[in-house]
Amino acid sequence: MNTRPLLSLLALALLPSALCAQPAKAPPPAAQGIDVASGAWEGIVNIDVSVLVPDYREPWNAGQPSGGSGTGFLIGKNRFLTNAHVVSNATRILIRTTNDPEPHPAKIVHIAHDCDLALIEAEDGSHFDKLKPLEFGGIPQLNTEVIAIGYPIGGDRISVTRGVVSRIDFRPYSHTSVDSHLAIQVDAAINPGNSGGPVMQEGKVVGVAFQGFSGRVAQNVGYMIPVPVIKRFLKDIEDGRYDHYVDLAASDFPIENPAQAKALGTGNDGVGVMVGDVEPQGSVGDLLKIGDVILSIDENPVMNNGLVRFEGELMDMNEIVERKFAGDTIKLKYMRDGKKLEATVTLKRFDPYVRLGAQYNQRPRYIVNAGLVFQPLDRNLMDAHQMRDDTVNYVFDNFLTDKLYVERPEPVVLTNVLPDEVNTWITPYAHSIVDEINGVKIKTLKDVQTALAKKDKPFIEIVLLEKNRPLVLKRELAEAAHKRIMQTYNIQEDSYLGDE
Amino acid sequence: MKLSQTLLLLTFSAATLQAQTPQSEIPKKQRAPAVTEGAAVSQQVVQSNSLVKVNATSQPYSLHLPWQKESPSGRRGLGVVLAGNRVLVTAQMVADATYIELELPTTGQKIPAKVLAVDYEANLALLESAPSDKQKAFFSGLKPMAVDVGTRIEDKVDILQTGRVGELIKSELKIGKVLTRRYNVEGSGFLVYEANNIVRSEANSFTLPVVKGGKLVGLLLSYDSKNQVTTILPAPIIEHFLKDVADGSYEGFPSLGMELQSTLDEQFREFLGLKPDAPGVLISMVMKGGSAEKAGMKKGDILVAINGFTIDSRGDYKDPQFGALSSSHLVRGRAYVGDKVEIKVIREGKEVTLTGELTRRKPDDYLVLPYLFDKGPRYVLMGGLLFQELSRPYLDAFGEEQRGGAILRLTRIASHPDKYEEEGRKKLVFLSLVLPTPSAQGYDKLGGQVVNKVNGKAIKDLNDLAEAFKSAKDTVHVIELNDFPHILYLDTFNAERDNMRLLGGAYRIGSLKRLE
Repeated sequence: MNTRPLLSLLALALLPSALCAQPAKAPPPAAQGIDVASGAWEGIVNIDVSVLVPDYREPWNAGQPSGGSGTGFLIGKNRFLTNAHVVSNATRILIRTTNDPEPHPAKIVHIAHDCDLALIEAEDGSHFDKLKPLEFGGIPQLNTEVIAIGYPIGGDRISVTRGVVSRIDFRPYSHTSVDSHLAIQVDAAINPGNSGGPVMQEGKVVGVAFQGFSGRVAQNVGYMIPVPVIKRFLKDIEDGRYDHYVDLAASDFPIENPAQAKALGTGNDGVGVMVGDVEPQGSVGDLLKIGDVILSIDENPVMNNGLVRFEGELMDMNEIVERKFAGDTIKLKYMRDGKKLEATVTLKRFDPYVRLGAQYNQRPRYIVNAGLVFQPLDRNLMDAHQMRDDTVNYVFDNFLTDKLYVERPEPVVLTNVLPDEVNTWITPYAHSIVDEINGVKIKTLKDVQTALAKKDKPFIEIVLLEKNRPLVLKRELAEAAHKRIMQTYNIQEDSYLGDE
Repeated sequence: MKLSQTLLLLTFSAATLQAQTPQSEIPKKQRAPAVTEGAAVSQQVVQSNSLVKVNATSQPYSLHLPWQKESPSGRRGLGVVLAGNRVLVTAQMVADATYIELELPTTGQKIPAKVLAVDYEANLALLESAPSDKQKAFFSGLKPMAVDVGTRIEDKVDILQTGRVGELIKSELKIGKVLTRRYNVEGSGFLVYEANNIVRSEANSFTLPVVKGGKLVGLLLSYDSKNQVTTILPAPIIEHFLKDVADGSYEGFPSLGMELQSTLDEQFREFLGLKPDAPGVLISMVMKGGSAEKAGMKKGDILVAINGFTIDSRGDYKDPQFGALSSSHLVRGRAYVGDKVEIKVIREGKEVTLTGELTRRKPDDYLVLPYLFDKGPRYVLMGGLLFQELSRPYLDAFGEEQRGGAILRLTRIASHPDKYEEEGRKKLVFLSLVLPTPSAQGYDKLGGQVVNKVNGKAIKDLNDLAEAFKSAKDTVHVIELNDFPHILYLDTFNAERDNMRLLGGAYRIGSLKRLE
């Protein structure tokens, strides 16, 4: 969770705006021809999506209508697996099979943005009853052949590309941009539109194609979500609810330095990684300290670079945690001041980092008062507003590193001041973090509502973080102006605080 | 330079390793010459025996590899001869100078010169040549120019430049505005004359005199060729500088050390309890150890007068010569260090008169050095770990696209140093770079972490750090950082061995530290 994507990854849903078709390479001679008419691949469907992209600049507006297309495949009775990014922010989902042009309206059953997977179902599933669901395989070996099947750009009908497994690694998932999980790299051409489609080996699904690099960055690099991640998702939703990943919420620092190894008391066996940071609100917040050495997780020895040998492969130690669910435990062996210790840790989700990643299927939350627009700080907001203010950028960038979430779980930004006579002197203060309103410390957007409801003084006083003067509005003027501003700027509701 | 930029890019922004070093990594901050572009305008050849050409070679230290210097570059300007055979130029002209010479425009005769006094905040420097027969001969045909502080708005003045064959060319300007503005380095504002006109450029120049009737009214500060706006460093500031130099010890320009907020907003005025037409601005910050604090000024006071001049709701006073002008000039330009100051404030509805003595905050008094010229950045190298004290020039050398991560964190500390100053830190010591040595194995991707403690001792500046490295326990140095990974260990013997290898090694390191 502490890593960020190093390269701009390209999620592969096909957006109409990005129809820059790269001609597909001539396919290598297929090992075996497939008769599409046979219906063997009828369960691999095209998903056509109409999208409404929320507007974080004018949060009271509906947003920007858009659309896209991806792939999905049948994994059970009227259950289609696809990528979360294919169906994110969807207002309408249509499923089509390759041999039948009839569109079938569908809806999301479960969506997991943190691992970019979603389960959808057709509103009338009877059409698919006779189709055979695809089966899952395991983790394919390096240099073994796989085929990617889907509906990428370049035509309307189903497409197959072939390649080998190039690499198995812990990688950032670009959909949220903050989550990293196991991912398998293949050199089969994976293009926009392939997203959500199966990657198969020996007739079984070994992954879901989901992201790649733009051709300008790297060639023949496509990624698929491997079966362990898919199975975890399917297990998580068995109880009818997706509970998200759990996290150690600690950052490890390799023990490569001999003096470091000596000081920390690790032996010459290359076992043990240093704890470089611990999130106080995370699973091990009360247990581990900076400078501790993690020796093993669930009896898997952790190497000095934070890797474990797990299921025959070297993987990030977080992979062990990744497979678990909220409330599960791990056995942690660690060393502090040369003493070996042991503990059982109950795993939980670490919420504060969610706002650092892109979020979907959410109506933007906001409060407008006398033209002052308050919104919670998150990546969607940062991206939409192009914040230049140093304090806002600092708070966003160091939300975790400087543990700012402890004091302020949901920093609130004054994102805009809609100009009016009442607020004309304070318009330059847009893009500031709100510290206090009417003496109430602002820790979440809800606090803004509570604070504005306090009417014991003739002034509304807003203290901004690291700005040296308070913003002051005379209450009676502000209240008189509020309705006028709502009307002038065509705002229907003066707040949206979420569904609760 | 190329090396350090690449390393730092990787360290600070965790960016992608790119195949080539992109062009954009060249440090953004370049000292642009004041005049760069020419435009066809009427020019007039004039005579003056009070101006000399000044040629300077400048060579700053590298900010990222502080043991070495950058490549030298030349600067040309036109200095003004003052009484006592001294020559006035802008400080920019002689910053980081390795060699300075004066040249007679007519004959081309040259003599070397040295900086007698320099003020980088006021952007002024005074040069002189060692007395000799040559020096006497050089100055024999030259006449000192008088300084005229009486310029007013609407006055016509001339900018002088030398042409290709040494002839003097003037461009006429009309002073349109007088205001206060920051000059070339971080800090509070100084008086500036502003004029709109096209200035023809004959040669790149770091100092050009502005004259009226044979007297000096200022030096060209900047020329924006796009908007044709000329700013002039005015005679009152020059006179202040010269008077200060003349008394033998240079004190510099004083400041109050506070921040004010205008009170034009009616609702804000009512909130503060100010009457609609009452003067005054809100004091929103009082700097620790500054003149204002010593005089007893408090955050939340309403400043209404300085030395008898009323301060209006914009923070301006009425200057008898220039009209409405920022109150900062009352202290900066019109008073000297050591002068008494009388400040009237409204506190809890009552007028209070505060008196105090004006002081100047020296660059070294700042947690983060606002500028650095003529000296190398301080540093300590230990086993390949390079420690430096944070400075503005260091931060400014990073481009916009490299502003994330550690640089963003350090920049914020520079803007809000209070918390770190309260901890008792004199300077902000940070790990700036890790050279690939055996003892620093595993640490080579680090950079930008603030140092809290070394071997258990709190680090308030680099001297503390150098001292703390002398007291390792159990042959391991323990370095505690403010940021991930929070603790580093260094073998004392191996670090010393690597130190010896670094000296004169591939990185051409001549000294393991600079603490002067």
